[in-house]
Amino acid sequence: MADVTNTAAPTMANAGKPIARYEARQKVTGGKIYGDDLAVPGKPAHGWLVTSAIAKGTITAIDDSAAKAVPGVLMIMTHENRPPLQPMKTFSTGGIGLTSQEPLGGPEIAHDGQIVALIVAETFEAAREAGRKLDISYNEGRPATTFGSPGVVRKTTKEVVGRGGGPTLGDVEAALAGSTHVVEAEYSTPVQHHNTIEMFTTTAFWEGDRLTLHEPSQFVWGAKVGLAKQLGIDPDNVHYVSPFVGGAFGAKAAIGHRTPLVALAAKQLGRPVKLVPTRDQCFTIAGYRQETKSKVRLGCDAEGRLTGYSHELDEFTSLLDPYHNGGLENSAAMYAFKAVGGDMFLSRGDRNVPVFMRSPPEVPVIYALESAMNELAEKAGMDPVAFRKLNDTRVNPVNGAPYTSRSLNECFDEAAASFGWSRRTPAPRSMRDGDWLIGWGCSMATYPTSMTPATARVTLNANGGAKVEVAAHDVGTGAYTIIGQTVGERLGIDPRRIIVQCGDSDLPPGPVSGGSVTTASVTSAVAKACDQLLAKMSASGPMSDEDRRAAFDRIGSNALIEYAEWTPAGMDPKQAKTLYEGGVPFAGGAGEDRTMFAFGAEMVEVRINERTREIRVPRMTGAFAAGHIMNPRTAHSQYLGGMIWGMGSALLEATEMDRLRGRYVNDNIAEYLVATNADIPQVDIIMVPEQDDEINVLGVKGIGELANVGTAAAITDAVYHATGVRIRDLPVRIEQLLV
Amino acid sequence: MADDIKKAGPDRRSVLKGSALAGGVGAMLATNVRAAQDGEPRAAAAVSRIPVSLSVNGQTRDVSVDTRATLLDTLRHDFELTGTKKGCDHGQCGACTVHIDGERKLSCLTLAATVEGADIVTIEGLAKGDALHPMQQAFIDHDAFQCGYCTPGQIMSAVALVKEGHTGSDAEIREYMSGNLCRCAAYPNIVAAVKQAAPQMGDA
Ligand code: FES
Ligand code: FES
Repeated sequence: MADVTNTAAPTMANAGKPIARYEARQKVTGGKIYGDDLAVPGKPAHGWLVTSAIAKGTITAIDDSAAKAVPGVLMIMTHENRPPLQPMKTFSTGGIGLTSQEPLGGPEIAHDGQIVALIVAETFEAAREAGRKLDISYNEGRPATTFGSPGVVRKTTKEVVGRGGGPTLGDVEAALAGSTHVVEAEYSTPVQHHNTIEMFTTTAFWEGDRLTLHEPSQFVWGAKVGLAKQLGIDPDNVHYVSPFVGGAFGAKAAIGHRTPLVALAAKQLGRPVKLVPTRDQCFTIAGYRQETKSKVRLGCDAEGRLTGYSHELDEFTSLLDPYHNGGLENSAAMYAFKAVGGDMFLSRGDRNVPVFMRSPPEVPVIYALESAMNELAEKAGMDPVAFRKLNDTRVNPVNGAPYTSRSLNECFDEAAASFGWSRRTPAPRSMRDGDWLIGWGCSMATYPTSMTPATARVTLNANGGAKVEVAAHDVGTGAYTIIGQTVGERLGIDPRRIIVQCGDSDLPPGPVSGGSVTTASVTSAVAKACDQLLAKMSASGPMSDEDRRAAFDRIGSNALIEYAEWTPAGMDPKQAKTLYEGGVPFAGGAGEDRTMFAFGAEMVEVRINERTREIRVPRMTGAFAAGHIMNPRTAHSQYLGGMIWGMGSALLEATEMDRLRGRYVNDNIAEYLVATNADIPQVDIIMVPEQDDEINVLGVKGIGELANVGTAAAITDAVYHATGVRIRDLPVRIEQLLV
Repeated sequence: MADDIKKAGPDRRSVLKGSALAGGVGAMLATNVRAAQDGEPRAAAAVSRIPVSLSVNGQTRDVSVDTRATLLDTLRHDFELTGTKKGCDHGQCGACTVHIDGERKLSCLTLAATVEGADIVTIEGLAKGDALHPMQQAFIDHDAFQCGYCTPGQIMSAVALVKEGHTGSDAEIREYMSGNLCRCAAYPNIVAAVKQAAPQMGDA
């Protein structure tokens, strides 16, 4: 089998240069760039969380005598003595909180692993010992755990949150009734946890009235404003520092309970407090991807033209706050459906509040749609690639809004050529290699291009050095690199001479690093600031060193600074103000006038041992088109990581629950399976050139959440192709194949 | 994966056996462990701290450590060497991988008190001044990371893997790098980096 060796992608059409990451050297030398690495003034104390041993009930007594007696213990904070806090709104309701539940707000336990105490001691070891000695008695209730558990109530999303009916077009029942072929199937996806290798660390210290937080964050401005409100202090007195984030995938945007508690402890003790929770605590003190069920009905006529698409989406969520993703407005825009219907439902239980996880709505919803597409293609006797190409659309069928660009068919062509798709024999169990049954499957990948307001400050020196500042975030995406590249390309200067500063709430505000908005939004603001600089120098494009020097001489200055505020086309420019208030309005995706999505085509080979049913994925191919690619090297890594996530989603990842006690069972990263190196022999990534002049200043679409969408549908179809067994309940498990 | 972790570092049992042989310290640890296993609350006696002299990246320093302190926490808290990362504290992720007497070990499963006199190398000790180790350069060249949090552990494992002679095939590299999880999933790029660096390493 061929191996991927040359991973530094070559320069390609409509793409920037594949330069190495801005921070590459720090990342390979152990530089102090993550929250818990940063120096603090004075000797820090160490925190330890105690989390509830039950999912529902009440704390009846806390005996802290043994814990207090541990030498070096400085503080034991519980609901009995927590200093006051103001209410926190959740992310979905315009705040920054993971939940509206008060941290250490009372004796009630609303979910497994709820924080019930923060212990602070001179050393980590002493804090841990005291944590283990804190004796908490509970009155345990019977939790409502997941779908089908006693006590769980199902309502439409609209009934619960006041909005969220599915999109409708025409008469879907009539369209389905008049179809030649119809697929009707139920697909389910499990609870998943982000499991970033960096855990949810928090360091806090106060200098007078000013609080500094060293905490991995996908939204430092939101966190600063939100936390200030919660603590009842002036946002100008909160400094959030998060230069680099050790993986986020959505887990590090909303603020959970730990942050205000550590801040309060640091205040009370008058010294820095550092908290590094345990891995199992990370399953319950932050969010996760909630379990879903999709009931899909999809029809086509005798020629294979799609008719009706009906999708009923069930999401599980917490009784504390009804976090949910929805996503049907996006799936309804994907193909030339004649009629669309469906609805969304929420079931709630005694669980911690879910949160966005890489491609939150698309992972379950597009998995279900694309699985149904594969099943329907088979019923219609068509190749699944030809079937999709036949049903391509240039507009969102629901409202007629045209796509600004859509290169899905080109992606399928490129992927098929590279993968060798034409050699696939359609019948299940028709391809094999000795004991190994071979299956090939495919899927579309897609992700909406969203944009938000952003700001940036660019300083240009006469000698060609520059600095760009914006409170954007680098969660491994390459944000520093592409922000620097934007300045370099726009002004005509060497990117190595550009200082990039991000991840600090003292910088001009940037949006949350979520929804794959950073590249499109932040580079637009950066480009705008650069254009303002060029205008000051009476230039209309990148300048030569000589021209720049001459311009500075003319102006009679050695440095120029420009500050830009940018809002996406069609959004009221006044909305930029929201950024300063810690909020972030989104535009894009399936909009009223324009439809903006990135696309890809994925093909996978699975090999299933006929005797043991062991499943391997020897190769995957993905072809993606997402407008201008800022940096093919970092883009390649995004796609690669995404497809591997998709594979994990199909075959490995699931948080298992004790249904009786409502507790997570495999809450560690040995038993919660993520892909390892040995699981990934070969992944081929193809970047299909695409030009989109309409979408934003640089013609870019976000790519961080594109490649893990659809992969599971490709893999389950490949499993079917290999074995003749359709698995509609993720992840695929060996025992499901023992039929 | 369990096998790889064992290969890559001691499990808790061997840590404790090792310390039991180390005389006084070991005896104390063994007592603590027994008490914990029996479910008896430990007496709230004074914290046990002992002086140890640790050689890290060629420099020897005397520190007083809690007998329960891991090498990982000691590096991060006492030596302020924060390149070595905590991803689980349980021997599951490999982010804390360091070299002890030339072998890769999980510093979260190594008590600081048990490595007195050993030669400890961390990610900060790999480059020679400004000159990166070939493995570090190869990780840059192949973009073998995204967020970079697993990277120190990956690089320490990769350097050891080459010395162990496990570069025979891509499949072998993948197998012997599987004790180091990368949630960003830079795996194929990591394999490419190992292949680039291996022939350049000499006895670096
Ligand atoms: S921190 Fe040591 S293996 Fe994860
Ligand atoms: S680079 Fe992010 S975990 Fe490996």
